[in-house]
Amino acid sequence: MNGLGTLQKQLAEALRSESLPPLPLLRGDGVADATSRLAVYHHGYRIRLAGALRTEFPGLALLADRPFEGLLHEYVAAHPSTHFNIRWHGEGLAAFLAGDPAWRDRPALAEMAQLDWAISTAFDAADHAILRAEELAHVSPDTWATLRLHPLPHARLLRVTHNVDAFRRAADRGGARPRVRQLRQPRHLLVWRPSLEVHYRAVTRSELPVLQAALDGATFATLCERLAERHGARSALPRMAELLGQWLGEGLVGSFDMS
Amino acid sequence: MENIVPVSRALPYLGFGLGLRVDHYEALLEEPGNVEWLEIVSENYLVPGGRPLRWLERFRERFPLVMHGVSLSIGGTDPLDLAYLDQLAALARHVQPAWISDHLCWTGVDGVNLHDLMPLPYTEEALGHVADRVRRVQDRLGQRILLENVSSYISFAQSQLTEWEFLAAVAERADCLILLDINNVHVSAHNHGFSALDYLDGLPASRVQQFHLAGHEQGNALLIDTHDAPVADAVWRLYVEAVRRFGHVSTMIERDDHIPPLDSLRAELDHARALANALWKQAA
Repeated sequence: MNGLGTLQKQLAEALRSESLPPLPLLRGDGVADATSRLAVYHHGYRIRLAGALRTEFPGLALLADRPFEGLLHEYVAAHPSTHFNIRWHGEGLAAFLAGDPAWRDRPALAEMAQLDWAISTAFDAADHAILRAEELAHVSPDTWATLRLHPLPHARLLRVTHNVDAFRRAADRGGARPRVRQLRQPRHLLVWRPSLEVHYRAVTRSELPVLQAALDGATFATLCERLAERHGARSALPRMAELLGQWLGEGLVGSFDMS
Repeated sequence: MENIVPVSRALPYLGFGLGLRVDHYEALLEEPGNVEWLEIVSENYLVPGGRPLRWLERFRERFPLVMHGVSLSIGGTDPLDLAYLDQLAALARHVQPAWISDHLCWTGVDGVNLHDLMPLPYTEEALGHVADRVRRVQDRLGQRILLENVSSYISFAQSQLTEWEFLAAVAERADCLILLDINNVHVSAHNHGFSALDYLDGLPASRVQQFHLAGHEQGNALLIDTHDAPVADAVWRLYVEAVRRFGHVSTMIERDDHIPPLDSLRAELDHARALANALWKQAA
């Protein structure tokens, strides 16, 4: 496949280059010259990738505003797509924004991209049954210590330093969007999909170590210990019961097992 | 290479359908009307779960479906993406489409996906390469596939065959079928200065299994296949010529941008049906 392979490499390189090099392998004619013809694909490559990113990152598009088009252009130039599904090209956008010198001084952009991407990937993540409270009713009291809760496999915790969740929520609802500002303290957002709708919310400071431990596969006893470290032994169990009720109610837990 | 897919397997005639788009989900389920079948874009449903698959389930119960992909890169020189093919096969087992199609093109090289339907040089080398890959794909999927002619804006100095000679030869050598996009024939005929009727005359009628109809736009000198406008008059005229040559071929309208209300596409579908019926009545 030497001839065909070489032709495809040359053409792909030309499409990805910033300027349009002359390509002797192409033919022009009276309708249009070879360069004008190639320009259709050159333009289309950028338009198509940018269009897909625009769909995947609605919060970022609104937050970045006018520089968004330039941002997409730079990302497309630096990151070729390697997945057959064009939407996966967006997988590296948050990391690009966090690390690129042109954008890293606006960390809210990377954080918004991270939230947009988590919402997008949760949207069509694998379906999973939700654990109902009744199913835990049969667990005997002396085995609770070794019980492990399994949050839905696609659930994600994101660390943010700006109120990007409030911005995205307002954008989703088509309402007035708040000014994006730096939070007094960083916080974590939880993204998950209990049924068909993707949910996201801020995680409280007392909930965070417990939720993180649950996501890491810790036993119920360990979750209680995390709470005891913060609230004292006496308050730990009631607080755990409260959290468990909340998690079950919001469809965050998929299953449990007894180790 | 021996092809293990049975040649005699006849595919059904589905009538007049539409490309399934999110904008029309609810309206189509509420009132299918004159839409007899739907073409899904396979990649939209190669996802683990969630809403897309839930909608697909509802359409699967109500309409005959066919699967149309954009990622096969049958003319590519990277190895065939077997993981993609296996996902496609799994989706097909679930959907039970009347058939599976993709495009006669390449979409990337060296692991980089251009997400475009790039034309091939029409050479003996490319012909052998594509025919071999089609046979391997058909063996892996366990069925014959349809390949669609793409609209193109470039042509290659090294091409030795016309596009229709190349398409016909691929179909014969690989024993696959043809999805004839009437709009793409019109667009490419304008862009490269060939006769659209010569194109139709050069295809083996027995292998043409499906028609696409779509809109395009006029660029500076070239026609651009945008799928964002109603089917143009010239494309309707070419459709009549295609029906005259190929007979009862399952026909559908593709619209990907500036998507109008469903009734507008229903009207176009009625127009296609009226044109075809008039010819078939004459013939009878």
